[in-house]
Amino acid sequence: MDNVLAARALMGISLAFHIIYATIGIGLPLMLMIAEGVALKTGDDTWHDIARRWIRPAAVLFAIGAVSGTILSFELGLLWPAFMAFSGPLIGLAFSMEGFAFFTEAIFLALYIYGERRLSRRALFLCTIPLALAAALSAVFVISANGWMNTPAGFRLANGVPVDLRPFAALANPAWAHEAVHGTLAAYVATGFAVAGYHAARLLRSRENADLKALSLSMAVATVALPFMLASGDWAATAVARHQKPKLAAMEAHFRTSAEAPLIIGGWPDPEKETVHFGLEIPKGLSILVHRDPNGVVEGLREFPADEVPDPRLVHPFFNLMVGSFFIMAVAAGTYWWLRWRRRELPVGRGALLLLVAASPFGLLALESGWMVTEFGRQPWIIQGYMRVAEGVTPHGGVPLVFGTFFLVYVALTWGLFRLLANPRRTRAGGNA
Amino acid sequence: MIAPETMAAGVLFAGLALYALFGGADFGGGVWTALAWGPRAAIQRKALFHAIGPVWETNHVWLIFMIVTLFTAFPAGFAAISIALMTPLVVALIGINFRGAAFAFRHFGGDTERRVPLGARTFEIASAITPFTMGMAVTALAAGRIAVVNGTVEAGLGSWINPFTVVGGVIGLGICAYLTPIYMTVRVTGDLQEDFRLRGIAAGLALGFLTAVQIPVAIWQAPPFADRLLDSWPLALVACAAAGGVTTQILLWRRLFLTAQIVAAGTVSLTLAGFAAALFPDILIGQMSLSAAAAPRPALIAFLTVLPFGALVLVPSLLYLYWTFRGEPDTELPPADAER
Repeated sequence: MDNVLAARALMGISLAFHIIYATIGIGLPLMLMIAEGVALKTGDDTWHDIARRWIRPAAVLFAIGAVSGTILSFELGLLWPAFMAFSGPLIGLAFSMEGFAFFTEAIFLALYIYGERRLSRRALFLCTIPLALAAALSAVFVISANGWMNTPAGFRLANGVPVDLRPFAALANPAWAHEAVHGTLAAYVATGFAVAGYHAARLLRSRENADLKALSLSMAVATVALPFMLASGDWAATAVARHQKPKLAAMEAHFRTSAEAPLIIGGWPDPEKETVHFGLEIPKGLSILVHRDPNGVVEGLREFPADEVPDPRLVHPFFNLMVGSFFIMAVAAGTYWWLRWRRRELPVGRGALLLLVAASPFGLLALESGWMVTEFGRQPWIIQGYMRVAEGVTPHGGVPLVFGTFFLVYVALTWGLFRLLANPRRTRAGGNA
Repeated sequence: MIAPETMAAGVLFAGLALYALFGGADFGGGVWTALAWGPRAAIQRKALFHAIGPVWETNHVWLIFMIVTLFTAFPAGFAAISIALMTPLVVALIGINFRGAAFAFRHFGGDTERRVPLGARTFEIASAITPFTMGMAVTALAAGRIAVVNGTVEAGLGSWINPFTVVGGVIGLGICAYLTPIYMTVRVTGDLQEDFRLRGIAAGLALGFLTAVQIPVAIWQAPPFADRLLDSWPLALVACAAAGGVTTQILLWRRLFLTAQIVAAGTVSLTLAGFAAALFPDILIGQMSLSAAAAPRPALIAFLTVLPFGALVLVPSLLYLYWTFRGEPDTELPPADAER
């Protein structure tokens, strides 16, 4: 394993790990805010109890999100010092703003979690507002940095060095808006479905009023966000078609430039033969999606230099997984609300609950695979068009060893977390909180 | 008008000082959990555990703030430091991760005692390793053994492992162990307060000894740093730090805890300021100046423009947090308990 591969692998597992906890850190505050708001408005304390019950496991997830985020901020330099020396001044503004948002989130989360006995119920609810807001903003800002890697802006290159810096233009790079909207909403969908799955599983065992209410709330949050996922996904795809043509071609496994380009669903891309095995073709589908015109010309991968395009075998399947997950969740959400509307009274049947449990991991799966699409789709660039991944890596030897070490750290943390979440009652005995 | 890179360096120093004053005290909590002894050992651990709970995540963000400031305002410095000090920083990161996780796991279990030995041990060991390696990494900037030749960083194992950085690491640990018991005296009463008072005085003696030892070690091991330290501003700051340390001891002796807490925080800030002033105007002593490491002017201006807006949100929020969780460390009890 060479330095570049080890550095990529380490950055990859660190982010894949962090994203799960960060996502819950964005989605759950919104649900806490709604639950506490409803409790205050209706005087029904069940809602308050639901929120407080979420907090116990959530506190652990938030903590792991915070420390794994620290690892990431260091890894930017430890693994990619050349990249950071180039882009630090440009993406630093986004990270600074994210830093303040994250600070605010940590403060109000602590107030909410630990403040039960020291703050009034109204104050607790008021704490969830900056909490939810700061959580969303921290995602929006940090995504700007990723947007900049995809569509670098706010500078001019002279002798290999960025000059004429305009940091605010770098912050508001072309990919920011659609990535931020798509990414932040994805966190709401993913958290909504994960929480809904948990409560659906509990309802399969016993019908508790609190679980029914929690299920309604989490499904409501996820369902409201779902259609916006479709719309922002389309927005993102058309933007990628404009700014990062090779990425779009890899996403769609589209090899040859053509008008009336078909949309290929599933299948395994074969770059040697420039074809897709076992894929389902929708005639003219891609041209319609990209240009809103069945005769639109879509550039294929072979249009670009071979050493400047991503590998479609890493991009196309993840893209399919992301879109497929969306439809699984859409079906589950549609079934759930249709049954509730049909029967009026709350208890939905076992079938619907099982469907929700089955659909619950797909939000996080979609989010992770969407991120894979963004990252693998940008290859071989670390800064699209300006710096290759291999040029950004550290000259310090022993990165494979660092990778191995952190891999074990993540395994240990995951093991500890599963043990804890799987058997909370045993350790809770004798507790005082 | 102060140069923007000097202002940014001031921000970086503020981040370091705040991380030491707040995050450091949390690490110290882990250290004193491990060292708890006497008839009230269990109560000491419990009080420390409760005190850390609501604030450690927030206090920890100062570290992220420092890193972000470093790569935004001093990208070349960030790159050089990341390359030269990869090993100690990786060790510190592992410590941070295990410590955070171990604390959160224990809290989730509601367990303040040692009934979860693995979690407790992890928390204690990581609480000591992290500030030690961070202290080593920070001191290595001043050790003068990291070479930057034609923009390429050259740093062997000796650049961060030598007597000067080892004492620096112990001082890092000492700062943490010093602040915690002094902060705790304000929040508890009776015998427990006496316990923390004595620990604070002992840690003060140890920290005073360590920082005093570091001066001859610096003359021996890091002459460029020692030259600057024993000259004008840095020397004045060192003298103030020494005076602050002595004052804190007297205040603790006379049980003026609130004042002692403030003066102790000042002592630590002055100690770090003396170090930073001796490093100034370099980020890597003798090899890379702050202005050579700095980002282009527009990036510095943008960063410094955003700061006050961030502070406007941050400062009142922080005050609200610390006000809510003042006094009695157990958040399940009202704060007034300790104020009677």
